[in-house]
Amino acid sequence: MRVKGADVDDGYLVQRAQEGYLDAFAELVERHGPLAYRVALRLLGSHHDAEDVAQEALVAAWQQLPGFKADSAFSTWLYQIVTRRALNRITRARPTAASLDQLGDVAGTDNQTAATAERDLTISAVTSAVTALPPPQRIAIVLHHFEGLSNAEIAVITGSSIAAVRSHLFRGRRTLSEKLAEWR
Amino acid sequence: MTGDDQPIRDVRVLLSGARGRLACGMDADELLEQAADGYAGQLTGHQQECPHCQAALQEFSRVWEPVRRLASEPVAIPAAVKAAVFGQLRDLVSDVWYTLQVTDDGAIRIAARVVAAIARRAAQKVPGVGVAFGRSTRSKAAGLAEQSTLGHRHQHSAVGVLGRTAVVDLALAVRYGENLDLIARQVQQRVIADLRACTGLQDIAVNVTVDDILP
Repeated sequence: MRVKGADVDDGYLVQRAQEGYLDAFAELVERHGPLAYRVALRLLGSHHDAEDVAQEALVAAWQQLPGFKADSAFSTWLYQIVTRRALNRITRARPTAASLDQLGDVAGTDNQTAATAERDLTISAVTSAVTALPPPQRIAIVLHHFEGLSNAEIAVITGSSIAAVRSHLFRGRRTLSEKLAEWR
Repeated sequence: MTGDDQPIRDVRVLLSGARGRLACGMDADELLEQAADGYAGQLTGHQQECPHCQAALQEFSRVWEPVRRLASEPVAIPAAVKAAVFGQLRDLVSDVWYTLQVTDDGAIRIAARVVAAIARRAAQKVPGVGVAFGRSTRSKAAGLAEQSTLGHRHQHSAVGVLGRTAVVDLALAVRYGENLDLIARQVQQRVIADLRACTGLQDIAVNVTVDDILP
């Protein structure tokens, strides 16, 4: 059961969860679980990998909660955990060809409308282009252009400088644009 | 072939031009950033007069459009992921069990987190309570009972608390203007009544902490 939690902020939930109230953490998962999955999906390009990483990250968040200091937002901290876990998976994995798994919930091809087919092609092309970027550029692109975070927020999450984030974004945007121009 | 006076519309040429600059001297990467961030329509004074910048912004926006579309696609976390997370958390949380009965037919136990969940629901029914979180812990007496029965305990109650004594901690956020003392007492009574009715536990202590006020 969800708590009537819309009334309380993340800080309150974090404190209760740190005291061992599992339900408070459940409410945090309700609020921020989608973020963990979404970022993992954009970074890794595969639903299967994203499920694993989101699960690992949310469980790790519970385990590491006693050490979490409220000097940053819970979401910022979770972004940090997810990107680190995703990065581990990227560096462990060997490069593979783009798979159909990247397409999302695709309807059967027989009754696909032209619009659906176009949408799926777009998802596939952008996902392939994003997941082909080197990890630092990929993380910067996903956090800025998909999650709408500022360069300063990304610097905190990735533990780098704002100048470095800006440089990763410049390079990532360049590579993505060139790839997408070829695709169009 | 494109002369300096002719705006370039090919992204690869735009980005690979001399030091990444347009014929007007503007930095192609900065224009790409402007377009990708969705500000291609907000032209600076120079851009309002410059066909090179306008053509580049238009082209960068067109190329970046699929990224914007993918970014706006809603992504829901699969229910299986949440279920798996909570399954793992339940395994991680060292659980306490209230053992109601141990006979040759078997044991009847209730997990402390179930006791906590019942307590939370009961507390939330009390008017004035905004949010309640429940946590159930071992009572001192139950802890001692557990210690003393370590050697001759029913094999399946290895991690349990023998007996019918429960201690429930409740953290409450209460609406502003309510009588906190009255609400806390009502919560204690309601929780004790519901737990007795639902679980058969008789000796119940309910510690109430009002730790936030809601508007």
